[in-house]
Amino acid sequence: MASLSPAPASLFPGLLGVFSITAYLTAFLHIESQIGTALLIVGAMALIALLVRFNALDHFQRSFAEREKAMNAAIVVAVIMLALVFHQDHFTLLLIATVMIYMTASLGLTVQFGYAGVLNFAGASFFGIGCYTSAVLTDGTTIPEVLIIVVGGFMAALVGVILLLPVLRTRGHYSAVITIAFALLFKTFLEVNDVLGGPQGLSVGSMSFLGWDFNQGIEIGEVFEASFYLNYVLASLVLLCLAFVFVRRLDRSWIGLNMDAIRLDETAAACFGYNITRWKVTAFMIGNAIAGMAGALYAMMLGFIAPTNFDFGASLILVSIVLFGGIGSPFGVAVATLIVVLLPEKLQILQEYRFLIYATLVILVLLFRPDGLLPRPVRAYFTGRVSP
Amino acid sequence: MDIGLLSQYLVNGLMLGMMYALVAVGFTLFFGVLDIINFSHGDSLMVGTFTGLAAYIALTEIGIVSPLVQVPIVLAAAVLCLAVLGAVVAKYLILPLRAAPPLNTLLITLMLGTVLREAVRLFYPDGSNPKPFPALLPTQSYEFGQFTLRVDNVIMFLAGVVVIIGVHLLINRTKLGLAIRAVAQDEETAKIMGINFNLIVLVTFALGSALAAFAGILNGLYYNEINFSVGLLLGAIGFSAAIIGGLGNIYGAILGGFLFAALQTIGAVALPFASAYKDVFAFGVVILIMAWRPTGLISEKVSERV
Amino acid sequence: MTGTVTPVLEIEGLAKHFGGLVALDGIDLSVRQNEILGLIGPNGSGKTTLFNVLTGIYLADAGRIVFNDDDITNNTAQAIYDRGITRTFQRSRLCLDLSIFDNIMVGNHKRLNPDLWFNLMRRQRFREEYEKNVVEAELLVRTFDAPLADRLFDAVGTFPMIDRRRIEICRALISQPTMLLLDEPSAGMTDDETTELMADILEVKQRFSDLTIIIIEHEMGVIERITDHCVVLNFGQKIAEGSYQDIAADPLVQEAYLGIDE
Repeated sequence: MASLSPAPASLFPGLLGVFSITAYLTAFLHIESQIGTALLIVGAMALIALLVRFNALDHFQRSFAEREKAMNAAIVVAVIMLALVFHQDHFTLLLIATVMIYMTASLGLTVQFGYAGVLNFAGASFFGIGCYTSAVLTDGTTIPEVLIIVVGGFMAALVGVILLLPVLRTRGHYSAVITIAFALLFKTFLEVNDVLGGPQGLSVGSMSFLGWDFNQGIEIGEVFEASFYLNYVLASLVLLCLAFVFVRRLDRSWIGLNMDAIRLDETAAACFGYNITRWKVTAFMIGNAIAGMAGALYAMMLGFIAPTNFDFGASLILVSIVLFGGIGSPFGVAVATLIVVLLPEKLQILQEYRFLIYATLVILVLLFRPDGLLPRPVRAYFTGRVSP
Repeated sequence: MDIGLLSQYLVNGLMLGMMYALVAVGFTLFFGVLDIINFSHGDSLMVGTFTGLAAYIALTEIGIVSPLVQVPIVLAAAVLCLAVLGAVVAKYLILPLRAAPPLNTLLITLMLGTVLREAVRLFYPDGSNPKPFPALLPTQSYEFGQFTLRVDNVIMFLAGVVVIIGVHLLINRTKLGLAIRAVAQDEETAKIMGINFNLIVLVTFALGSALAAFAGILNGLYYNEINFSVGLLLGAIGFSAAIIGGLGNIYGAILGGFLFAALQTIGAVALPFASAYKDVFAFGVVILIMAWRPTGLISEKVSERV
Repeated sequence: MTGTVTPVLEIEGLAKHFGGLVALDGIDLSVRQNEILGLIGPNGSGKTTLFNVLTGIYLADAGRIVFNDDDITNNTAQAIYDRGITRTFQRSRLCLDLSIFDNIMVGNHKRLNPDLWFNLMRRQRFREEYEKNVVEAELLVRTFDAPLADRLFDAVGTFPMIDRRRIEICRALISQPTMLLLDEPSAGMTDDETTELMADILEVKQRFSDLTIIIIEHEMGVIERITDHCVVLNFGQKIAEGSYQDIAADPLVQEAYLGIDE
């Protein structure tokens, strides 16, 4: 019989890690000066280099892998703490919510790329479909906003299927070129369509839940007053958690296995009865639905959307995030999103050079560390122990 | 619809088709030899155009203004620079990724395309705005009844034909072409037969990039304008054209290029109110063709061993 | 040793060509229930092509394939699997980044519940199905190699070729097929490893009461030891058939392998 697994890893390294990252992010988000930001970045890189050098990251990873429920709870608490620290700072809260929404969308892309191997270079366009659904539905109808978010996901999934189904019988690069073409034409399509606001864009109604309008600030007695963006931070946290749990369970099931099988070897999979099209479509739909829902919420938060947000470059950013993080690794994707979204916001000089820098970094990653920041481990269907 | 307008559309379609065909042939070369999808091809084209423009500006600066001298130098500059760029890319980005999954090569070329695009936008003087490209070829036009023909268009079209025939001859009638085809068929055997695989890869990339440069110059001469973002759509079109023609097949690529141009022209004629829709129409039809004939109208080369 | 007389698989006039190259030139073949058939012949004689046509990877250009009285000619690969025919590949096709268990479960596709709700929400039930399969996979792997069974959740890429071949065979067996096609299972192995592998195959044959095996091999020792019947191919045609002793003595066979004696 298989040997008993050793005692479960201690919570401590994991908690220490979560705490340090939260403290670091608090400082990072707080500092205004460019020099301070640059110093923080250099400091972080040095620290990480040291940790890698002394193999200290292993403890952290084991802690995470084996005490997952506790770790996830810790992260949620940490995010809420972070939000509370900045509860009156509109911009920072907006940024935090944006990061979580991007993480959600990236999780969707992870299912497509990372699990099933379906290339999608139009991630931002499907995200945009969610946004525009939100805009259209909040304006004309009285459909509850939570449902609008779901419909946003549904629309993105639907368009995706229509786009991809014809070419799914074919080789991988077909879906690549089709999604590239879609990404290129989506923005132009929006701009020539006045029904959808044309180049000026559309305004979007606010999120509300059970009567609570999210565009209202929060006031608890005389003591606590918070920016209305705090509502959105909490909403995006909820959405992210749901997406995360969903994607994790998907990976840790026969469905995750099926997607891996068709990604790694279609011919062999066919010989073992796999309906290749079915799994590719499933992955594509799920990924787009998640991106669409993230988009719907995002639109409500911004209150206004325009076609320029949904060009090919935006899709490339999502692709970069997935590649950096480690294809198929949700935590890696989370870390990558943090880096890709936060850095240019705080280090203004990077703004102009964003795409150049991301593209170069991805090239370097592909050449020297193709597994990404946090490579995907072997599948463990249930956490805690590895074998019976 | 009067003949004049029809002939305009026809000429336009033919010119576009020629350009798309050139780009598509490049894609097919890369796929045929290395089984890779090179998404930076369209952006290479753009770099070729800018190189040509820079050469032109340099020439006028030093006082050379005769188009007879300018045209060959501009062409040579673009083609040579791009050939070198292609070889460098092959050596440092493509060859190292031979053993990795094909997805990685696709991604790295996509990122390379972005780097090229952004580099031009950021570092070429006033790169983010469209730039005028000089009309270096004679622009007289001749009337044939209601049908007008511009000399420069004819020259460009014929030049394209010559280049395509040249590529065909190179691939099919020379020793180098034989080596390229051998590598495309079976890398292992080609190596055993003494063919220097790495060298052939570099040469193929240089050749494909040179083709892109040529297409880029044509592009600049035809539209009299260039801008940094032109490569993306052209690349997507060229790639689709190569696919529907059957990846790996040069004639298929040419067919695909002209077919796409024809679709765009039909789209423009049928939907005159919004030019963007012609692209949507053309790609829509392309998707249907891909669904109907997944291996291309002439077929895609398949090299998988089971 | 020999099974009953009913042929479980009948191939008539099977032909396959690739452009001008004729890979299969009118093959007639009959496989009896529960026997082990050896398929041999020099390189390029069409053995793997035969497997590929049989398993739906290639379309036949002519001929018929009948399995258990059903015409399965040009069925899809998926349909062939559903009928209980599985295979291994000449060039080992395992997912190296996945664990042994995952790879074997790929072979178990038709017995695993693919329903979204079941996999995501009914986690307790899913866990039961999962654990049942872990036990089954472990048992199967243990037949071949006990240490391998202890490392069921390690990535396949960390194992040497002989273990990978065993895993591939397990993948083909887990769904309890009625016909197993082995394509050069001993390729790349030492003599000792080959002997071990063959003993394992015979043991498996004993355990699975209803299993017919077709094995492509170059190792004549293997053929001699485990097969009940042999078919020899050359240039896409069947040139000899019979027990190992019969075909080993056949001058046509000798000529095919060794060339004409001048």
